[in-house]
Amino acid sequence: MIEIKNVNKWFGEFQVLTDINETIERGQTVVICGPSGSGKSTLLRCINGLEPYQKGQILVDGVSLSDPKTNLYKLRENIGMVFQRFELYPHMTALQNITLAPMKVRKLSKDKARKKAMELLQRVGIPDKADSYPANLSGGQQQRVAIARSLAMEPKYMMFDEPTSALDPEMIKEVLDVMIDLAKEGMTMLCVTHEMGFAREVADEIIFMDFGKIVERGTYEGFFKNPKSERAKEFLKQIL
Amino acid sequence: MFDAVARNITFLLGGFVVTLQLTFFALAGGIALGALVGLGRISKNKWIFQPVTLYVNFIRNMPLILVIFWFYFVMPIIAGRPLNPFLSAVISFIIFEATYFGEIFRAGYQSISKDLTSAAYSTGMTYIQTARYILIPVAFRRMLPSLITQSIVTFQDTSLAFVIGLQEFVRRTSIVDNLEVRSIQLFGFVAIIFFIFCFIASKISRHFEEKGRKLGMI
Ligand SMILES: Nc1ncnc2c1ncn2[C@@H]1O[C@H](COP(=O)(O)OP(=O)(O)OP(=O)(O)O)[C@@H](O)[C@H]1O
Ligand SMILES: [Mg+2]
Repeated sequence: MIEIKNVNKWFGEFQVLTDINETIERGQTVVICGPSGSGKSTLLRCINGLEPYQKGQILVDGVSLSDPKTNLYKLRENIGMVFQRFELYPHMTALQNITLAPMKVRKLSKDKARKKAMELLQRVGIPDKADSYPANLSGGQQQRVAIARSLAMEPKYMMFDEPTSALDPEMIKEVLDVMIDLAKEGMTMLCVTHEMGFAREVADEIIFMDFGKIVERGTYEGFFKNPKSERAKEFLKQIL
Repeated sequence: MFDAVARNITFLLGGFVVTLQLTFFALAGGIALGALVGLGRISKNKWIFQPVTLYVNFIRNMPLILVIFWFYFVMPIIAGRPLNPFLSAVISFIIFEATYFGEIFRAGYQSISKDLTSAAYSTGMTYIQTARYILIPVAFRRMLPSLITQSIVTFQDTSLAFVIGLQEFVRRTSIVDNLEVRSIQLFGFVAIIFFIFCFIASKISRHFEEKGRKLGMI
């Protein structure tokens, strides 16, 4: 369970996050949406300890991130993250991208790590691309390798930061399908995305952020069909 | 055709060995110091950033020959005794080349996106692991062509050490020329040797550039 309690964060004078409260139960899929600059990426970065916050608390399975005794490296093993621009290691093949952390962090043998990586590539539908370098893969394929790379650490949570917004339309589906399967298998997910179809199919809750605040929350029906705030209505008009 | 060269080959090649030694120490020191200068140039601490930037801008607006001269004539006043020309030349080259290598390192460090680092962290890797397996190899591959190019420049620059009387390749050639009076032949020989070395190095640089481009890294 991820508990976010009254979190506030500033970049210098500028307040990026204001009084964020949210609880994500195991097995849930939460979708975060909102205009550019509203603090969505910053919130995700705070949750796996990539950014500090100045007020409030974030607890992952009861462990506080701001506690100086918390080992953030250890904690991040449990939280996978997928980025808009894939961020694959460009000097490694797809397979090497996936096996690196299991081998170096979990100390898995090369054979075991490879075997597992091949299973994951199978699962995301590109076992034939194991030996390709990222530069020779399409965007959709790169993003699926990135998902496999995260899954190789067997995380309890997965976070996605606009995973399909850098993709050509014909590749969006192949990535969303992988994400939908994951959600249905019971993965706990936190996804920044504006993909309505995805939200409809798997989101337990949708959060709408604006200017660093959670302005509205609800189910797919509640939020997309009947937004309450003016800002949400405006925003939905733009993305639909 | 190369009779004058043949008659003095040991003396000339001895000079070339000095040139190679000079290049070696200038590169080892220049690249090591350059890696630190690059870090200083991206530092958010102004007590580090400003002095390093001042040093880089000052030296880069200075002809190398002046740095060599100045160092050779001023150091004895500070140190209280004359420095040997080889050591003096090596130190001047390190001070000079480190500013150029520093800018290459700065660009290399800055070419790594914040999200690439975050991606590595989010798989549970530590700072050391991330630096070792991702940041350094990626930055290094991006920088390699420029590092090689700057190394070629350093190699060529070492001939300027003749101004403080160091008997490197060009200096020795001109000594031979004073006796033999065969300028075209002798300096032609020097040119050929320099050309061969630089040509090979630039081919290597090109090779890494192509490779980097294929991986979409440059
Ligand atoms: N390191 C930083 N220093 C200062 N300001 C920052 C920093 N990172 C982000 N910001 C600012 O914080 C705000 C929120 O940024 P964030 O990236 O979280 O927004 P976002 O909702 O993810 O937007 P987008 O949809 O464009 O990705 C923006 O105004 C941004 O300019
Ligand atoms: Mg963002």
